[in-house]
Amino acid sequence: MKHLIYILFISLSITTNAQIDYTKLIIGRNTGLKTFYNGDSTRIFGFAESLGEAIDIPGPTIRITEGDSVMIDFWNVSQGAPHTIHLHGLDVDQQNDGVPALSFTVGHMDHGFYVFKAPHPGTYLYHCHVVSSIHVQAGMYGVMIVEPSSGTNVVWNGGEAFDRDLLLTTSEIDTLWHNPDVLLHDTTMGAMIMVPETFEPQFYLVNGITETNLADPLNHHYVGLNEKVYIRSSNIGYMGVRHIFPSSLLAKTISSDGRPLPTEVSSDTVELHPGERFGTLIQVGTDSIYPITTEFFDLNTQNVMSTQTSYIHTSAASIIDLPEPTISVYPNPSHTGIFHITGDLEQAYHIYDSIGRILQSSQDNTFDLSDQSKGIYIMRYQDRLIKLINY
Amino acid sequence: MIRCLIVALLIISFKSYGAIIDVRLEIKSGTLNLVSGTPIPYKVFTQQSGFPNNSDLLIWEVGDQINLTVVNADSVLHGFTLDSYVSFPSIAVSDSSYQSFTLNNAGVYRYYDPINSPYNEYLGLAGIVHIKNVGDNVPYFYWDVREHQSDWNDTIIQAFNPDLNFYTPDYFTINGNSNPDINNDPTARVVGANGSEFRIVIVNNGLSIHSMHFHGYHFISIADSKYMTGRNKDTFPIYPKDHLVLSCVPDKGGEYPVHDHNLVAVTGGQVYANGIFTTMLIAP
Ligand SMILES: [Cu+2]
Ligand SMILES: [Cu+2]
Repeated sequence: MKHLIYILFISLSITTNAQIDYTKLIIGRNTGLKTFYNGDSTRIFGFAESLGEAIDIPGPTIRITEGDSVMIDFWNVSQGAPHTIHLHGLDVDQQNDGVPALSFTVGHMDHGFYVFKAPHPGTYLYHCHVVSSIHVQAGMYGVMIVEPSSGTNVVWNGGEAFDRDLLLTTSEIDTLWHNPDVLLHDTTMGAMIMVPETFEPQFYLVNGITETNLADPLNHHYVGLNEKVYIRSSNIGYMGVRHIFPSSLLAKTISSDGRPLPTEVSSDTVELHPGERFGTLIQVGTDSIYPITTEFFDLNTQNVMSTQTSYIHTSAASIIDLPEPTISVYPNPSHTGIFHITGDLEQAYHIYDSIGRILQSSQDNTFDLSDQSKGIYIMRYQDRLIKLINY
Repeated sequence: MIRCLIVALLIISFKSYGAIIDVRLEIKSGTLNLVSGTPIPYKVFTQQSGFPNNSDLLIWEVGDQINLTVVNADSVLHGFTLDSYVSFPSIAVSDSSYQSFTLNNAGVYRYYDPINSPYNEYLGLAGIVHIKNVGDNVPYFYWDVREHQSDWNDTIIQAFNPDLNFYTPDYFTINGNSNPDINNDPTARVVGANGSEFRIVIVNNGLSIHSMHFHGYHFISIADSKYMTGRNKDTFPIYPKDHLVLSCVPDKGGEYPVHDHNLVAVTGGQVYANGIFTTMLIAP
């Protein structure tokens, strides 16, 4: 019954806002759990597109089209604090700006409707603006992309074309800020809200992952040979970030904060401070792997606090639509380093290490990683990738 | 001949617009009251009789003749530099230095104590000079952005310089104020109207990088000491000792926040949102 009323309400509000071109449901929750490469985990807040979807960082990427009237239906299913959605950089009017006291907040089990016109094509952010220092750190952020009205693979109408875009979204996690006494702050109006004395992250995230997770081929960015790729970088953390591309990619930064730059900048380095976004075109060649180095620097001392490496991987195969397995591997994980294959091997398989280097190719039913270090390996067979754990 | 005429015209215009301005800046010691109420030792350059929260903002015009006296009313040695115009390497206690100069170039400049850099500047001895073009009638707002590590000021006053690698400021100010007091400073608080250009001069006199994010509007940088000008953005980083002049023609009314998007810097003494957070009030 409740559901019905809700649907009725939505359809009513859609019909009253006759010009809405696109509606997007975003759910806010307080009960996420983020697990890191080393097995540590921490509580997070965050966004999802459906009730069944687990909260992760960053939230879902929202793509809208230039000129469209957009309605974000924000449903707060948090059992906790009110939340909002601030449309960072979209220059929406005060009512839809998502700042408590100046706009509206959305309480538990309430819906908030944010209505705005999609502005100039580019890369934007959305995040909660309730006690933003805490709720953004908690994980309530994601990227919003405005695509040109003339098509998705062009930077803006009449601008350069590209084959695909890739996101580099940076942030950090200091687990001290994720203690319940910080996250579950007083929500009464005018309450004094304290944040921890220090911000000293343990985890420096690129697209929500870090360290060996970035090296895992399952998390590489797969692109085609000789493609032109548009890198959409955004920094929603509390540190400075410096992405360094291999010079062979001929990186050229053409836009920032949803507008063209007055002059293109040909540089392998793109620096982002909190809240900034940049658009950088790169020209992929025929190498199999292109590492992207990301330095996180402290804004007070300018000292580099962490260096992360993510990988652009050229491959004909996509890891998105995997065919049904025709073979399986056992034991996996393997303690001896010996793995066996069941099923008919119609062609050779390849074993890669965690940074994508090929270790062996074979059509045997058994392979041996006992002389390799403990860790994660990847087996590629036809279009399928299988994660192997050698422990 | 034409060139001669232009030169003559310029001289005439300087003569007719240029004012003679006597400026007497005193270097003073006092206290800055942080948003929490905690007082910290502080120093300023000021023409005022009291002890302000911030070194004076000096707004002059191209062609003005400035007769500048800087008096060291503090108990330790200081100096004075106004980039491009003045350098007094040292001014002894109770002593003063004098220079007369004419302003040739419009722009935003910093003045500061060059001694014990950057610690004397950190203690408050740095300010903004804005030399405006004759006839520039655009409304300007001025943000002297800083941060403070409350337990450092006493230490520095006692002639011990902490290691900058351990700088972790806990208070963040514009013109010496934190939210909500920034909105009570008419120099800082943007009040404007839909369709009317206003500009914001931002100078970072602190030690940290700040990343200023504007709600409601994109701004165009018409001066930027670090990056190319003409950038049309909603978030502008500003490095220590750098300046920015941003222009905006609002396309709607409303009240929109501006804040440091390093969200640690919107807190003060661990309290949210007692840091660099203010709002722009634009009439519809
Ligand atoms: Cu929230
Ligand atoms: Cu933001």
